Amino acid sequence: MTTARGAAVSDGVPARGLRYLRARWRVLVRLGGWSVLETAQTFLTGYAPARALDEGFLAGRTAVGLGWLGVAGLGVLVGAFGTVRVYAAVAALVEPLRDALVGRVVGRGVREADPGALSGLTQQVEIARDTFAGLVMVSRSFVFTAVGAVVGLASLDPLLLLVVGPPLAAGLGLFAATLRPLARRQEDFLVADEALADGLGRVCPGLRDITASGAEERVAEDTGRLVEAEQRAAYSLARWSVLRVASLTLGGQLPIVLLLVCAPWLLSRGVTTGALVGALAYVTQSLLPALHNLVHGLGTSGSRLVVVLRRLIREPTPEDGPDPDPHHPEHPAPVRNAADHDPPHIDDAGPLQNPPATATANPYAAEPGRHPEHASSTRSAGSTSPPMSPVNPPRVETETGVLGPDERWAGEGGRRPHPAARAAERDSWTAPAAAAPARASASPPSSTGTPALELTSLTFAYGPTATPVVDGLDLTLAPGAHLAVVGPSGIGKSTLTALVAGLLRPTGGRIRLLGHCVPSASAAARRVLIPQEAYVHTGTLAENLTHLREGPVPEPELLAAAEAVGLAPLMQTLGGPGASVDPAALSAGERQLVALARAYLSPAPLVLLDEATCHLDPGTEERAERAFAERPGTTLVVVAHRISSARRAGHVLLMDGPRTAYGTHDELVRESPAYRELVGGRPYRISTAHP
Amino acid sequence: MTTSTAPPAPHNRPSPHSSPAPHGRLGPAPARWLALCLLSTASTGASLLLPTALGRTLDLLLAREPATRWVLSCAALVLLLALLDAAETVLGGTVTARTTSWLRRRLTGHVLAVGPRATARFGPGDLVARLVGNAAQAGTAPAARAALLAALAGPVGAVVALGLISPWLAAVFLAGAPVLALLLRAFARDTRECVTRYQEVQGRIAQALSEAVGGHRTIRAAGTEDRETARVLRPLPELSAAGHRMWRVQGRAAGQSVAIAPLLQLGVVAVAGVLLARHRVTVGEVLAASRYALLATGVGVLVGQLAGLARARAATGRLDEVLAEPPVGYGTRRLPPGPGRLELRGVTALRGGRAVLDGVDLVVPGGTTLAVVGRSGAGKSLLAAVAGRLADPDSGEVLLDGVPLRELTHDEVRGAIGYAFERPALLGGTLEEEIGLGLPSPSPARVRRAARTARADDFVRRLPHGYDTLVADAPRSGGESQRLGLARAFAHGGRLLVLDDALSSLDTVTEARIAEALVGDGTHGTRLLVAHRAATAARADAVAWLDGGRVRAVGPHAELWRTAEYRAVFGEGGEAADRDASNRGPT
Repeated sequence: MTTARGAAVSDGVPARGLRYLRARWRVLVRLGGWSVLETAQTFLTGYAPARALDEGFLAGRTAVGLGWLGVAGLGVLVGAFGTVRVYAAVAALVEPLRDALVGRVVGRGVREADPGALSGLTQQVEIARDTFAGLVMVSRSFVFTAVGAVVGLASLDPLLLLVVGPPLAAGLGLFAATLRPLARRQEDFLVADEALADGLGRVCPGLRDITASGAEERVAEDTGRLVEAEQRAAYSLARWSVLRVASLTLGGQLPIVLLLVCAPWLLSRGVTTGALVGALAYVTQSLLPALHNLVHGLGTSGSRLVVVLRRLIREPTPEDGPDPDPHHPEHPAPVRNAADHDPPHIDDAGPLQNPPATATANPYAAEPGRHPEHASSTRSAGSTSPPMSPVNPPRVETETGVLGPDERWAGEGGRRPHPAARAAERDSWTAPAAAAPARASASPPSSTGTPALELTSLTFAYGPTATPVVDGLDLTLAPGAHLAVVGPSGIGKSTLTALVAGLLRPTGGRIRLLGHCVPSASAAARRVLIPQEAYVHTGTLAENLTHLREGPVPEPELLAAAEAVGLAPLMQTLGGPGASVDPAALSAGERQLVALARAYLSPAPLVLLDEATCHLDPGTEERAERAFAERPGTTLVVVAHRISSARRAGHVLLMDGPRTAYGTHDELVRESPAYRELVGGRPYRISTAHP
Repeated sequence: MTTSTAPPAPHNRPSPHSSPAPHGRLGPAPARWLALCLLSTASTGASLLLPTALGRTLDLLLAREPATRWVLSCAALVLLLALLDAAETVLGGTVTARTTSWLRRRLTGHVLAVGPRATARFGPGDLVARLVGNAAQAGTAPAARAALLAALAGPVGAVVALGLISPWLAAVFLAGAPVLALLLRAFARDTRECVTRYQEVQGRIAQALSEAVGGHRTIRAAGTEDRETARVLRPLPELSAAGHRMWRVQGRAAGQSVAIAPLLQLGVVAVAGVLLARHRVTVGEVLAASRYALLATGVGVLVGQLAGLARARAATGRLDEVLAEPPVGYGTRRLPPGPGRLELRGVTALRGGRAVLDGVDLVVPGGTTLAVVGRSGAGKSLLAAVAGRLADPDSGEVLLDGVPLRELTHDEVRGAIGYAFERPALLGGTLEEEIGLGLPSPSPARVRRAARTARADDFVRRLPHGYDTLVADAPRSGGESQRLGLARAFAHGGRLLVLDDALSSLDTVTEARIAEALVGDGTHGTRLLVAHRAATAARADAVAWLDGGRVRAVGPHAELWRTAEYRAVFGEGGEAADRDASNRGPT
């Protein structure tokens, strides 16, 4: 199993298959040992009837004839016993492969959240298992049957071998020669089938859009082409299959005719009647069926197996880790690592906070105005507006938050928001300083002064040329801070939490979590994310709750956590921490409560609630949020589902593309029209110049 | 079995009430099917003749009599068998392929004609499974049916042939056959039980995996992938044990079944040998009897074929369910020239027995913009669907420039009405094709102009291949997808444009620009916007406020804004926010 799982991923299926088999040579020996019984049975298939005729029935000694047939019958039983054991040996070969494939599929499914993993698990792995077993059975059966028949023919009379051997070899040769093209046709067919499934997989969920566009005919034509392609592949496969029939006729049927043609010659050379009948029995009862199975099984199963395996063991995507990803040269990790022990919090927002490395790390740095590499250069290069503030203080700090100017860069193409709106925003930058002392008691700075979360020029785009969703964001949260993130749906709030949670890699800038670079294992241990879709797995409630804890958790602590987030009533209904949980039987809100209690119990100091309370009623939501705000040593980031979450938070980050703003709730209500609209104030109009 | 040829299927829209059964039985190529039937029957006939010919030839050869003619006829039979086999292989393969693609084309056409209702009724995943997997299974039905007669004729003919050689031989075989049948039954029962067990454990792993896939954000953020993987894999040893057991049971069953046919055959040969010793049969007849005994055990093949046919029939049934869904019917009328006046008269639409739209009356004058607002579940999206005939109302009428939408031709209604959605479904071509989806021959200039209006031009042009980039190769945010969907709607044009929450993922500046382009220049005809934001509603000429499937009020946003309940639609507690702000001043 270790070979299959731990092998280097670079080489192909055949090489890995060989290695897999080599590691299981004992099983192969066992398989061979039991298969010998089948050889014995095959041997008797022709030999016993031959003797029964020659020495028994034809010689008038019925008992001897019946005796030889009885021996053949015994041979059948022994062979059947061999078959039973062969299946066990095949299991020992096939089941570890299945285990390894299941392990791989599950591992990838968990790591990459690959929804295809499910069909991989229930279908492709089973196809691989069945086809592999089929291949082993068929090829093994042919080899051992052929040996038995050849030995039998030789014992009856070597001359018989001379007649049967050459066409058999020719048939096998033809089959071997056509195996590759046949496998290619088979593969073409599978590929066409997959392309069709993909195409239909886009059409069926898109019926609404197709109907709305009136594009039914076009889509029908496109799909028709895929159907056509598959039909062509199937036709080609069917035509090439004639070669199978040819191999079979040559290797299995021609010997029958040749035996008849050569019969006078053979009989004149002393071949007995029984031997001739025995030879015919070998050809028709042993060789022909074995060859038939080989010819039909090998081409079809073989290419199916290769196609399925190739898909199942494709290279895993590189996993998160402290090492920089070599495929993303723009990833700034090396620089960041070197800077890991920088003094993390500097009051004077000098260049140290924005190291020049950002410029080289930022793939967009060359494009003026879109991605300011530096706070001070933003104004001069990016926009034609007069600088809103002096060169130095675009960075505003409180002990709960630091916000740079980068998130406010002027709109695309130098266009910019209404001056009034800008003025309002500008005010919001400076305001938090005044509000800061209010939070001082609630969030004492940690002794080391390391920020709980520090985003520096954080940039993320879904593709190398896509508009960044998060663009040059600077934000510092002191330990104990409570931040709410608000903004229109789809604007990138979840992207931001995904970046902090290490689910996405920034395209520029860096994230540090209590001084630890994200992504890294040490950062992972210091944060807990509860997304909108709460994760509850089948198991006991306690298992679900202590999932993020090493070692056992005392029950009083479990109960206290349940009480704090509002899970206690549900826990009671279910029957205590030991009760088993069926996620499907819980409502979405109940699942969220379980996830909240789990996060509450986790040792992580940074808690990210990404609409984690959206299925709870406002009262329960408030209780849960307060529980986290009062949890000792906790820094809380809430992506707000209701604006009331923002009111409870010390600070609010309003994400709105280029008009991203930051401040306390009150400041933003006063100064950001977009925020006012979100909280239910008057809508506003933005007048923009037409291009 | 009937061999009558059915009339060819109408290629356009199949009538919903015609039964697909005749085609399901014979497939789209009845002549080929008939040929296949004849081929496989002929093949069976030849294989039944061969043992007798072999036996006769052997007897002549053993008697040192001239046997050239018999040897030649044996050779001819073998050659004939090979040819028939080859022809059967090709014909069987092509009939199956042809039937499958015929079914798929027909189903795709039908599903497209049914439209979004098909997705709602079956779910997209199930629909794909039916079109791909079930169609392939159903496609094997004609070939399986054609082979059935031959599969039945083989064993029956073989037993008859045994009886012709000597009634004793047939008697021995028939006495042994029930044992065969019993053992085959035991085989089926045994495997079914351990297969169930195996699938049960597999289902548990799959369940845990699907839970973990659903919770991947939680898991990856905590870095507990390895622990989760281990937890999901916890039942693996059980699966392995169940798998081993399955092989053991299968091995036992296989041991029985591989033994039974040769033992039956040996029994027949033993009786034939005794008869030979008494000179009642010849050596050649012993050989023939041995072969016939084997052919007669082919009855197991018949069982397998029947099971395959049953599967194919079940699959055909699932396809029939899809075909039974009636397609959308279109009328024959065309639109008169007009500004795009939209009128809903007493529109009621039910979903799951509930009236989601309940007697909606609404008029949108040509060239104006109407915003539709309301809490979630108020029926906004269904209203948007009904307004452009993506769904038909259960009662009431929707008219565009005075003509009921139902009476318009397909091209007329789809050409006149454009749509953009909150989450546009992209079909996988290039971005150029995607944006020009609704146009018969989209000109590059028109596509680019639409993309500019939707503010998608910038990010499309920055892609490696610009407008020729495949959708799959264009990673994008929700807002960017939305802008592609908008570009598609703008490129489509028409006198009515329906935006179903299609601006929701845009930042306020982008949204404002698109909305201004949309409302401002008047080239987009009448607009119906489903909106969540107050700013969007404020830009419209009028707002229709939906509440519980009814129109609560229609009027300018500024007027409606005076109502607290209306304000509450845009965010919980509009006035609460104001109060809050005044109470909690900065400290």
